[in-house]
Amino acid sequence: MSIHQSLFNYINESSLIIQVTWIMSAFFMVVIIPLTFYFRYLRKHLRKQERTVALYEQKYESYLINYLYSGNEQEIISPEQQVIINQLKRSTSESYKRKILISVLIKLKNEISGEIAESIQTLYFHSGLMQYALNRLNHKKWYVIAKGIRELKQFHIKEAYDQVILHINHPRREVRKEMQLYMVSLFHFEGLKFLELLETPLSEWDQIQLLGVLERLESKNISNIKLWLRSNNKSVVFFALKLAKIYNQFECKEEIINLLNHINKKVRLESIQVLNYLDVIEAKEILKENIEKRTLEEQIAFFKMMENLYEKSDESFIINFIHSEVFEIKVSSLKILKILNKDKFTKLKVEFPDPDFLKIINFLENN
Amino acid sequence: MNTNKKVLIAEDNSVFLLLLKFRLQKEGYTILTATNGKEAIDLIEDQEPHIILTDIMMPFISGLELISYVRNKLKRSTPIIVFSAAGQEEIVLKAFDLGATDFMSKPLSPNELIIRVKKLLR
Amino acid sequence: MITQIIIDIIQYLFFIYSICAILSYLVLATISAIETIEYKHKNSFVNYKEIMSSTISPSISIIAPAYNESLNIVENVRSLLSNHYVNYDVIIINDGSKDDSLEKLITVYNLVPVDYLMNEQIVTQPLRKGIYKSTNPAFEKLIVVDKENGGKSDALNMGLNISNSKYVACIDVDCLLLEDSLQKMIKPFLEITDKKVIAAGGVIRISNSCIVKDGKLHDVNFPKKLIEQGQILEYIRAFLLGRMAWSRLNGLLVISGAFGLFDKKIAIQVGGYDKNTVGEDMELVVRMRGYMEEQNKKYKVAYIPDPLCWTEAPDNYKIFISQRNRWTRGTIETLKKHRKIGFNPKYKTLGVLSYPYWFFFERMAPVVEFVGILYFAILVISNKIRWDYAFSFIVLAYLFTVFFSLIALITEELTYHQYKKKGTGFRLLLIAFLEPLVNHPFILYAAIRGNIDYYFNKKKKWGEMTRKGMTKA
Repeated sequence: MSIHQSLFNYINESSLIIQVTWIMSAFFMVVIIPLTFYFRYLRKHLRKQERTVALYEQKYESYLINYLYSGNEQEIISPEQQVIINQLKRSTSESYKRKILISVLIKLKNEISGEIAESIQTLYFHSGLMQYALNRLNHKKWYVIAKGIRELKQFHIKEAYDQVILHINHPRREVRKEMQLYMVSLFHFEGLKFLELLETPLSEWDQIQLLGVLERLESKNISNIKLWLRSNNKSVVFFALKLAKIYNQFECKEEIINLLNHINKKVRLESIQVLNYLDVIEAKEILKENIEKRTLEEQIAFFKMMENLYEKSDESFIINFIHSEVFEIKVSSLKILKILNKDKFTKLKVEFPDPDFLKIINFLENN
Repeated sequence: MNTNKKVLIAEDNSVFLLLLKFRLQKEGYTILTATNGKEAIDLIEDQEPHIILTDIMMPFISGLELISYVRNKLKRSTPIIVFSAAGQEEIVLKAFDLGATDFMSKPLSPNELIIRVKKLLR
Repeated sequence: MITQIIIDIIQYLFFIYSICAILSYLVLATISAIETIEYKHKNSFVNYKEIMSSTISPSISIIAPAYNESLNIVENVRSLLSNHYVNYDVIIINDGSKDDSLEKLITVYNLVPVDYLMNEQIVTQPLRKGIYKSTNPAFEKLIVVDKENGGKSDALNMGLNISNSKYVACIDVDCLLLEDSLQKMIKPFLEITDKKVIAAGGVIRISNSCIVKDGKLHDVNFPKKLIEQGQILEYIRAFLLGRMAWSRLNGLLVISGAFGLFDKKIAIQVGGYDKNTVGEDMELVVRMRGYMEEQNKKYKVAYIPDPLCWTEAPDNYKIFISQRNRWTRGTIETLKKHRKIGFNPKYKTLGVLSYPYWFFFERMAPVVEFVGILYFAILVISNKIRWDYAFSFIVLAYLFTVFFSLIALITEELTYHQYKKKGTGFRLLLIAFLEPLVNHPFILYAAIRGNIDYYFNKKKKWGEMTRKGMTKA
């Protein structure tokens, strides 16, 4: 009997457990061997790819520099430049080369301004790269669309507006974010009009990015934000509140005061903070009336507002809160009392010898 | 007249570096290039450039650390122009505190850079 | 006859357990592959340079407890201060160190005592010398707190009381954070709108043999010792396959104590870190999750697979064993404390998936394995052993481990490709084949010791907790 035969008999006669165990072992054995080779291949491939990418990068970088310095005053594209464009055009049909070329263009474009930046844009247009990006906008996969929009933003292709705005309520937040950044980067405050059409949430992350773009603009002429403060999309309201604060939109105070009774507690809270920042003294009186019915966060924010907007007449109000259960409210009230009525404040030390309370008093006395 | 002036450019963006190198060479300067802070420091020590152009964000040793090294360790007063990304006012202020001579905010115009370099080397 | 039946039953139980373990690992690996691809796509749209320069980004406090860290404390603090995020501060809690840590910090960073009004929301050991801040504006982000010794949890709780930020990053003082770590970790908190993100965990990578200068990672190297290599493989497996999959299922139970970001309000609401466990990092996450479930709020524990935090791993078996011993006890304590969550459909994924998985395949695995070895020994002694049975099980277990390690290594190459150097590939493969033989026996031994210490040696814990509070990873 051959070994092969005896092995077969052994497996056949074994119990089910042993059969399954050996079969699984054999399976893993068979899988492990190709995996080992694949791992080796993968590492080699990655190293090679890194080298190839670096090579092409270098090549395209020197093409680009040559292109930029072979222009002349008379023509948009000089004959020497046309030669380089034709050379690059051949590369753009292969997707990985195109990717490298685009990354080189963007790498330089982000760093410089003026005529060289415009010259890169001309190259982007004439080498046919733009058409590839536009085609991406109709793709099925979300990340292809998002990449297309991002590229059009990076090369300032304003003409794509109509196609880009179509993705305003795309189910993927990454696509929406690129759409929003496109609008604001290219059309600045005007671009914010998309907020009126936005039905999906604008995350905190998106808002920070958009504000970052706006912050870098020279113009601070913000368009009218009143409409956005009244939006049904609460994330748009949050964003408008941030704008109101950053751009000191004092003329929106009526709208913001109305938000103090918004059904969302976070909206109410942020409205208090913005009103505080804008020094809207009326808001204080409105809040005073029903402060005890508001959420804890709102109460704390209100007392922060009081620290900023106190008046002599607030003393009798504030005195009710110096023993509040809430640490922040207690500290705020005492701070205000110290300013309004130093005598009364100092007397508290004798009246209430509780050590925790004294700790706060002593701290406030010295600071 | 410019040929004996050495300009060091420290910038991790290779193509931007290449562009500046090209542009400054056209003006007749000798160009030293570094793609990170470490290389830049080595070049400053052996080549003693007449002016240093540096990006703030660089791998290993940042532009800020580079300025502080030149001013405090090497005790040199070589003019230093820093490049910063837009909206980094805080970092630019820090760069001036550490002893930067001038700053340019990215995206920057190469021609404007040349004017500033010329002015500082005069 | 009866013994034969018992033997059969035991064998079937082992068999079923092994099959379940293998299946669960395969399922996790598949899920993690899906999640990894998704993450890669998503992340290619982020320009982290943008958020860090924004001044309206939310505030974060880094809280780092230190106990007798005099040797490296100055360097470690420098590294923490070099993060690129704009709106953050660094709170170093000197937890009753007996060395000159505080004096060193005072001299190097020009610290002076300050008056600080603290809202003591979690009760901790009192301050010792007080709270310090720097007079040098270059170090304005630094706060140093000197307090009486109370262990790691107590120190972290003090940090929670002191922080004025919305988010807190709890870390080990000796771990090295990459400069963009905070903006990557904060992203899920700001981005997810339909759920509340309560915490985010980062990946821990092993920095042994890597070149670190001025608190920055200059070069990644693959260490020489097998024990270190084995741990690297183990971490890649755990973080790239295990946790990635659990994050997709929103069932993550652990955030490494070495680097985690928390919503401060919720962390304080649930009472902060538990001083009575050596597994405070896991325990807090389980408690926060339990709390959110009880409040019936939609929440998520996020996970960032990028290599953001690098830490030194034990390079000798003695420390390695004591570390794993502590981890085992931490797991047992946490699962025991929260047993009402386990198998309880009221807690959804947490109760019916995460908890049971941890119970069976993390907590019980070493016990089952140990019992298996005991059983094997008894059979050998009583001469009842069927060698082919024993052999088939061992071979399967070995091959599966190697297979799983290979999948992890391939994932690593396709995603982060950290060990780029030529020649390392062969060593990575070699350790995939050796790890079950060189590191695993020690891990098993440590886990069994952990079980024994937990049940029979309660005193050990207390000594350890006050003497040394740091855990690695």
